[in-house]
Amino acid sequence: MVNLATTAPIVLASFLACAVEVVEAFTIVLAVSIVRGARPAAMGTAAALTVLAVAVAIFGPLLATVPIHGLQLVVGVLLLVFGLGWLRKAVLRTGGALALHDETAAFADQTEALRSEAPTSRQAGDWLAGIVAFKAVLLEGTEVVFIVLAIGARPGLLVPASMGAAAACVLVLAAGVELRAPLSKIPENSLKFMVGAMLTGFGVFWCCEGLGAPWPGGDWAILGLVALYLAAGLALAGFVRGRIAKVAA
Amino acid sequence: MNVLKALGATILKMFVADLWLTLTALLVVVLCAGGLRARLLTAGEAPLLLAGGVLIALTVGVVRGAGR
Repeated sequence: MVNLATTAPIVLASFLACAVEVVEAFTIVLAVSIVRGARPAAMGTAAALTVLAVAVAIFGPLLATVPIHGLQLVVGVLLLVFGLGWLRKAVLRTGGALALHDETAAFADQTEALRSEAPTSRQAGDWLAGIVAFKAVLLEGTEVVFIVLAIGARPGLLVPASMGAAAACVLVLAAGVELRAPLSKIPENSLKFMVGAMLTGFGVFWCCEGLGAPWPGGDWAILGLVALYLAAGLALAGFVRGRIAKVAA
Repeated sequence: MNVLKALGATILKMFVADLWLTLTALLVVVLCAGGLRARLLTAGEAPLLLAGGVLIALTVGVVRGAGR
């Protein structure tokens, strides 16, 4: 049964995950738009969004045909592996062991790369720029599609998951269009930290459900698991920070 | 072709950004599934073991990452 304990974290997880990915894709699309004009940027973005929409249209209904326990186990394992990867990276970035993702630097690199390319004609330049925008939206969007399909894999959850992702797209794009600058003020690593903990929690929950070992408290256990991995992540980030300070001293 | 290669690399990176972490997480799930099947674990113990195993995998993954 779908209840608030399930839908609220799903909407939030898809919203936050999508916001992170859209910020990254927007930086590249903005660079294309500024260097080569809005047309190739819009064409590349539209083409990638079409490919992603087709992927959702194909794989979404396909998931509904898979037996629920098998689906929960497979999706649970994938979410667990994917979420743990995000959480580990976010912990290392928070602790200072890895550099934070810098949208302003990414924008500068992309702009420079586009300017340094010397196309044989204007048409060739537009084509190359369109491909760059297409690739950025497709690659970042692939992760969003996976997250939305995976966390929306239970009956009745695909719509809330999609709504969370769509809301993030609209909000981030509106902010980007308004600013016409890379969205470097969005705390990308904190969002990734949160999403990593949420996806890991969902993954552990659904793995157990898929194995036929239900959690005490039902869907409410998801909130407990997310809190557990969030707290563990914060403690580990503190440990990493302390270790780096000790080495530096 | 370049786009397809990048897409393949992105999908691979999604699940095996850190091979050790991926394998440990999979091992924890397999151990729980095996324990349940062999009746070494009860349905009440498996969730706790899985959640704890994942926590250990994360801890080791972070400690390894911080040591690089």
